[in-house]
Amino acid sequence: MIVGLCFVLLLAVGMPIGFAIGLAGVIGIFTMGGGTTFLAIGPSKIFNGLNIFPFLAMPFFILAGEIMNSTGITGRLVKLAEVLVGRFRGGLAHTNMLASVFFAGLTGSATADAAAFGRTLVPAMVKQGYKRDYACAVTAAGSIIGPTIPPSGLMVVYGSLMGVSIGGLFAAGLLPGLVICAVCMSVIAIGGKRENLPKAERGATLGEIWQTFLSSITALLMPIIILGGILGGIVTPTEAASIAVAYALFIGFFVYRTLTFRELYAMLVRTARITGVIFVIIAFAGILGWWMSFERIPQAIASTVLGLSDNPYAIIAIIICILLVVGMVMDITAILIILGPVLVPLTEQIGLEPIHAGIIFVLALNISLMTPPVGACLFVLSSVTGEKLERISVKLAPFLIAEVIILFLFAFWEDAALLLPRALGFAP
Amino acid sequence: MLGDIADRISRQLNRGTEVILAALMVALVLDVWIGVVDRYFFHWQLPWPEVLARYLMIWAAMLAVSSGIARREHIGLTAVLLNLPAPLRRAMLIGIDLMTFALFFYVLWFGIGFAESGAKRQAMILGATLQPFYAAIPAAALLACVQVVLVMIRDMGRQLDLPDTPSEEGAGA
Repeated sequence: MIVGLCFVLLLAVGMPIGFAIGLAGVIGIFTMGGGTTFLAIGPSKIFNGLNIFPFLAMPFFILAGEIMNSTGITGRLVKLAEVLVGRFRGGLAHTNMLASVFFAGLTGSATADAAAFGRTLVPAMVKQGYKRDYACAVTAAGSIIGPTIPPSGLMVVYGSLMGVSIGGLFAAGLLPGLVICAVCMSVIAIGGKRENLPKAERGATLGEIWQTFLSSITALLMPIIILGGILGGIVTPTEAASIAVAYALFIGFFVYRTLTFRELYAMLVRTARITGVIFVIIAFAGILGWWMSFERIPQAIASTVLGLSDNPYAIIAIIICILLVVGMVMDITAILIILGPVLVPLTEQIGLEPIHAGIIFVLALNISLMTPPVGACLFVLSSVTGEKLERISVKLAPFLIAEVIILFLFAFWEDAALLLPRALGFAP
Repeated sequence: MLGDIADRISRQLNRGTEVILAALMVALVLDVWIGVVDRYFFHWQLPWPEVLARYLMIWAAMLAVSSGIARREHIGLTAVLLNLPAPLRRAMLIGIDLMTFALFFYVLWFGIGFAESGAKRQAMILGATLQPFYAAIPAAALLACVQVVLVMIRDMGRQLDLPDTPSEEGAGA
């Protein structure tokens, strides 16, 4: 109780989330008594919390994405999306959504996509006559496709911590990511007239489409290499990520020849810093997690939730609601690390396939990235474009509703969620 | 004046840290490549690339924490703070820095004993002990402690002040 209160208080007063987790964990250990005996355990929990090989995939995917972005591939991918769907009413909004799918194979980060598109596509949309709040809302809605379609940092963390096949999670993320894209494009099409979205004067010719496709083929090949290797069972996610770095370096240095050693140095440092910001949460969660399991808190929460209902669908709905609500005010990696050990055993008790449970977690947490009041993507877009958060939130509502429906669809329909993992032999 | 000195020291310390971070990242990438090449082409069955990669990652990630502190990149909720009067907000931000210092001092204090305990354990890397790898925890905590103090002196709780927020001197004038 004291620890929970301290944690909430520290978060509320603005302490960085990783540090708040660490301090709450230390307070927890301190309340256990035992002098310095228990306190001395902290550093080993930090070390062991990070001593997991699959975690390496995350910095490598971040680095590969950074290198690919530096080659100017961003513009090429957006152009490809534009020649494919730019001819329809709301062409640039559709382009934004489809480009998110192409980008998903490079970055796997919603906030990175939101920042990149907030700087490039949102101004382009405004220039073409779109309202800025609407352009931001479309970008926010599309940004969660990044961490849903593999590679996904969140899936790497989930798979590593919960002992679930990361390849299986990657396979499971592909279909929901594409469905989110299709449904959001439908939302754009339905609301196109009401929002008075502009329409391109002419569509691209087949020749233009082919030329643009050829110019962006290097970027499109990267996710194919990564996913083909992992889903085909040839390489592990960490190895695939390191191969992605090699591929990106080759493209940057020898194909586009835009990469310099000075830039590479900056990217290496930036990758380490981003990794540090995420991993410090994981590291300190090792202390809090140890205290929680010592006090048998996960079991207590599990029995409370199971006491509410024994219906599997109700339990799934409760888990989703918890993730969405907590996701409104907390970093998603932190939620995964703190609530994962509490909620995942619940999914086991109701007989949910581990990969299915994983994809529910990932989808719910990704959606929470764009829920007010503190959805990270909303914040990024608001700061990059200068648009008010409340105005973006209003325009985002139809997309948000659609994505929550998709989440429940995949949560309740196991056959759809496990279609690809089963086809590829990751799930029975 | 004191803030400028703290800022200068913080920047220089961070610059040195970032050089080490870049070197660790290069070593990490090369190490995993060696593992991949070994596994798929040479079949030497080297036992150390995977183990070394984990330890390099821990060193890099933990050292990067201090870099994040120097640049104020660690994510926290600012909604409540931004709605507080500037003097109270600054006091709270200084309080957060002090608590952060306390946390890392705890990690440093007990981390030294933890690193020493590694001297008796083998790392499965060419006969090395775990001590140099366990040392990542107290070393990173020490750097974090120093950076927290430096950025606290540099910012004095003003890091969330908007450009148009009057400073205490300005408000008083």
